[in-house]
Amino acid sequence: MSAVLETEGLGKRYGSFWALRDCSLEIAAGSVTALVGPNGAGKTTLLHLAVGLSEPSAGEVRVLGASPQSDAADVLPRIGFVAQEHPLYRGFTVAETLRLGRDLNPSWNDDAARARIEALGLPLRKKVGALSGGQRAQVALTLALAKRPELLLLDEPVASLDPLARREFLQSVMEAVAETGMTVILSSHLIADLERVCDHLVILAGGRTQLAGPIDEIMGAHRLLTGPRSEAAEVARVHDVVRQSHTERQTTLLVRANGHVYDSRWELHELDLEEIVLAYLGRDAALEREAVAS
Amino acid sequence: MIWLSWRQQRTETLITAAIVVLLAALLIPEGLHLASLYHRDNIAHCLNNKTPACHQAIGDFGGHAGILRTLVPWFTLLPGLIGGALAAPILLDLESGTFRLAWTQSITRRRWITTRFSVAVATSLAAGALLAIIFTWYRAPLDKVYGSFDATSFDLEGTVSLGYVLFALGLALAIGVAWRRTAPAVVTAFLAYVASRLFVDGWLRQRFETPLSATWSVRERGPNLDRAWVLWSGMSDRAGHPFSGGFDVLDRCARAVGSGSKLVNPTCLARHGAGYSHAIWQPASRYWDFQGIETALFAGVGLVLLAFAAWWLRYRTA
Repeated sequence: MSAVLETEGLGKRYGSFWALRDCSLEIAAGSVTALVGPNGAGKTTLLHLAVGLSEPSAGEVRVLGASPQSDAADVLPRIGFVAQEHPLYRGFTVAETLRLGRDLNPSWNDDAARARIEALGLPLRKKVGALSGGQRAQVALTLALAKRPELLLLDEPVASLDPLARREFLQSVMEAVAETGMTVILSSHLIADLERVCDHLVILAGGRTQLAGPIDEIMGAHRLLTGPRSEAAEVARVHDVVRQSHTERQTTLLVRANGHVYDSRWELHELDLEEIVLAYLGRDAALEREAVAS
Repeated sequence: MIWLSWRQQRTETLITAAIVVLLAALLIPEGLHLASLYHRDNIAHCLNNKTPACHQAIGDFGGHAGILRTLVPWFTLLPGLIGGALAAPILLDLESGTFRLAWTQSITRRRWITTRFSVAVATSLAAGALLAIIFTWYRAPLDKVYGSFDATSFDLEGTVSLGYVLFALGLALAIGVAWRRTAPAVVTAFLAYVASRLFVDGWLRQRFETPLSATWSVRERGPNLDRAWVLWSGMSDRAGHPFSGGFDVLDRCARAVGSGSKLVNPTCLARHGAGYSHAIWQPASRYWDFQGIETALFAGVGLVLLAFAAWWLRYRTA
């Protein structure tokens, strides 16, 4: 599989604040990747760098083999992007919004766009500002899909939607993926939103990549171990400890296992994805506390 | 992209058109009235024949122009409003985040900037030209009498309106793209427009070229300043220094001739530092020089501001 999005030591600084730092990633063609992290983790910064809205302060980003900054004319027609809050011109009617898409995109598929709008039951003459949040999100998605993108990037696409609209929106994305086989990156601060639709995961926290990989590998590698406190250091020599907590005699470790844990003194538990994600986000917060303390 | 640019400034274009139409509705009836008076009272003839009757006729004609004539100079603020209005849709695009939608379609940012700016510039220039045409037509009879070099007509006629709208547009865009807040940026730009105009009107313009000056005795006719832009004129001594004494000098130098009539002795006046007239003026022949300089000044600064706004959007906005 070739990489659709590649970053190498990518960083973005605003003043003295690094919104994204030393980010190296590869997003494989055909994957559906969840980009997860708390608010302010650098998700939007990463996506804006990937679509050429902002310029890197350090490192490099390549999309479909080209730089979204210097080769914008080559990259832009091949990607679809829905920014946070699904910005659309509220004074435009749905039909005018489609015309915008047609005028600005040579690869525009007008029939498909109209068919989608019709299937959603949206009146063409209605003003975008008068639509519900879910409907606006769908119009924004239609605009991005009708470009026939090879890579679709969605920034917090469901954060502002109610549960039903969330499901419908993600359903639409999955249908489009099934039809075209395009690569998708969705960001969210909650993995629960995206777990059902994604096969890859990137965890971003504090402006850095914490974890990246296929979800099934991640699930397979992480285990919760409960055992004697005295042996904790020994486990840490072999496996990566993501999070640990101790009682008087017992230690609980969340580890990324390098190979199997056979020791009978340790009790093994499987984890769900949300627990793993939370552990990594918690680790970042703990590291920050350490940094501040030292 | 051109359709999109028009669609996005539709409201503002309508506002601009409404300003032009309202102005035409206000000035066309008045202009027709002035033109008919000019014709009826044979003012053209009187301009070359300064008989007392003609003096009276010209005075009456000037009086007719009435309230509108005192109101019209304020309309020189209109280019500031139009420039601000046409900058607003571009600034709103930034403020509401919708520029991220436009900039992630297939067109480059450079093309978006070029097209949006071009449409805004073209609309402003068209509006500025229409304003100048309406004002010039309305003031034509007045200009024949008073000339058009005075600030009240200089600011409204000729080519300067084109410079003013470009300046106002550039100012609002430059402040707005950096500030990212539309309403305060447009208001600030308008205030800066007014301040710049006051500075040029009140101080800089008269220095575009060195003014002419002359001093002549009250017995002489003096230069014809009818259509010139007179910067200063008044009583002076022989060397042209302004007379600073009180009016009692007239009494001292006057002697009664017959009943109720007095004759002033010029030699006596000269002894008291008066008896001469001094004037400083820009001659009417320099009108187009001045129009050219002022248009180039405002248009030039406007273009620099537009270039700054384009640069900021291209490299500093995300």
